[in-house]
Amino acid sequence: MVASHMATAVRPKSLSLRLRPLIAPALFIAPAALALILTMAAPMADAVLLSLERWDGMTPPTWVGFSNYLNLIHDATFFRALWHTAYFTVCTVILQTVLPLLIASLLNSGIRGSTAFRTLYFMPVIISLTISGLLWAMLFEPNFGAVNSLLRAIGLGDFAPLWLAGVDTVMPSVIIVSVWQSLGFYLVIFFAALQGVPKELYEAAELDGAKAWSRFLHVSVPTIWPVILIVIVLNTINGIKVFDQIWVMTAGGPDYASATLGTYLYTIAFGAMGASNSRLGYATAIAIVILLLSIVVSIIQIRLGRRADLDSQIEM
Amino acid sequence: MIGGQRVLSMRGFRKAIAPANWALTFTRTLIYVILVTIAIVEAFPLLWMIITSVKDSHEVFNTVLPAEINWRNFPRVWFAMNFPVHLENSLYVTSLTVALVVALATPAAYAFARYRFPGREVAFYAFIGAMMIPPQAILIPMFQFLRSLHLLNSLTGLALSYVGGGVAFAIFLMRTFFLSLPGELGDSARIDGCNDFQVFWHIYLPLARPGMATVVIIQSLYTWNEFMFSNTLITSPGKKTVQSAVFQAVGQYGTDYTALCSGLIIALVPVVLVYLVLQRQFISGLTAGALKG
Repeated sequence: MVASHMATAVRPKSLSLRLRPLIAPALFIAPAALALILTMAAPMADAVLLSLERWDGMTPPTWVGFSNYLNLIHDATFFRALWHTAYFTVCTVILQTVLPLLIASLLNSGIRGSTAFRTLYFMPVIISLTISGLLWAMLFEPNFGAVNSLLRAIGLGDFAPLWLAGVDTVMPSVIIVSVWQSLGFYLVIFFAALQGVPKELYEAAELDGAKAWSRFLHVSVPTIWPVILIVIVLNTINGIKVFDQIWVMTAGGPDYASATLGTYLYTIAFGAMGASNSRLGYATAIAIVILLLSIVVSIIQIRLGRRADLDSQIEM
Repeated sequence: MIGGQRVLSMRGFRKAIAPANWALTFTRTLIYVILVTIAIVEAFPLLWMIITSVKDSHEVFNTVLPAEINWRNFPRVWFAMNFPVHLENSLYVTSLTVALVVALATPAAYAFARYRFPGREVAFYAFIGAMMIPPQAILIPMFQFLRSLHLLNSLTGLALSYVGGGVAFAIFLMRTFFLSLPGELGDSARIDGCNDFQVFWHIYLPLARPGMATVVIIQSLYTWNEFMFSNTLITSPGKKTVQSAVFQAVGQYGTDYTALCSGLIIALVPVVLVYLVLQRQFISGLTAGALKG
């Protein structure tokens, strides 16, 4: 690819001399490039085409232009799924950034046993979303699940919600599971970043009479802001494409109350039991929406984040 | 007051007598209370799962702790859920994916770090851009692609479907690693008569082992735990990976929580064992992956 580009640019005389240094890197990269084209670029291009077609997976597809996208506008379930996705993303971005950051600061305050705490908090991170989803589905069971049993035992039986089975409580429940599972992951990232903050900065702030909270806000946060920004972007991308844990716990139910873009497109393409594939073009159009959303939102976040970074440095 | 302080901090006991330190000790205690509470919340579901797995089925909803530890659920589920087959399937898919990703990504990452050539930045960002693609976007085309190759419902096909995303991420990680190695090593090897391939193979590859270990850990965990592709691209029960097999078992076992919990634990054991052995590398590898990604 690179070689052919060069061939047009240089005269034949010096061709072999010019090309020689390119041979080694081309050979090193070619296998990976081929793999990426076959298993990523080609399917992605195919997805863009597919989103402009009507296809049941069996008979040849028919070109329908942008009508899949136009149909999305009239699809109330699509907008519910979009709303749930936004709800999940905003909540997890806030909770999964603020909580790990605060707890990492507590662990970094010079207390003993911080390694033990980190190891323990990290345990749920290595568990698959499938297993944690199935586990929490049992814990959240409204009638005899452990969470409601616990609530009844401490006299909060009247409060005991339906959790995953309730239309109003299903999204918060799913978010709780996500926070539970990822806390250790982001916490360890923040802890590593906080360890890198020079001690002198805290000492200087302390001399100026800054209390712990203000040292956190005016020293820790601005210093590790690039890491915070990465965590926000990661959380956003993961939120927009959320699928596994919701599919395992509720399959988007009850009655689409926890349907996200990810689960809705899966329902359309593969059905609840993974058998029927009727409207593959339409499902793919939703996949493209997920892709565009994650690209646009993360670019905006990085842009705004960089500016906030500059501002905070000026304040300092 | 003094009794309380002793509980708060043994080390700080002498210091705590001074009034200024009382506030400090109080803060420390508060911090520990918060951290321990979170530890309980994080550990509770896992402890509940372990306790439930050794209960007798009539004890599940009535008692907090079982009268006696009952291991029978494990052999029962081991054979009923056909775990030997599913564990072997997952092991095959994970090994094949990891081997392909490391073999493809390492030389490419080396080239991006150590060579200057026209189009390098563009090519590199094309690879990185692939990391942004959500798996949902390529799921349906991948389904059709594998079907056309007769690799649908095949564990090899499933492994292939993971390669693209894995390679992109691994190149990103490994490139940073190769950049951290000194360039002089290669220069002096070239003076000694090594060609490009020999420099890579004999000089840099041995030094890149820690970077490769990070890739192996991240990719193994990701592949072993992956659900959407494995649940969609594999249809026959005997070829299911652990994750989708466990998911399928839910319908079958319903509220037989002792069986389900034992099943989840069996599915978890391989990952937990590796985690306990390689704890440090696991945590640093995963977080390094996130920060660079």
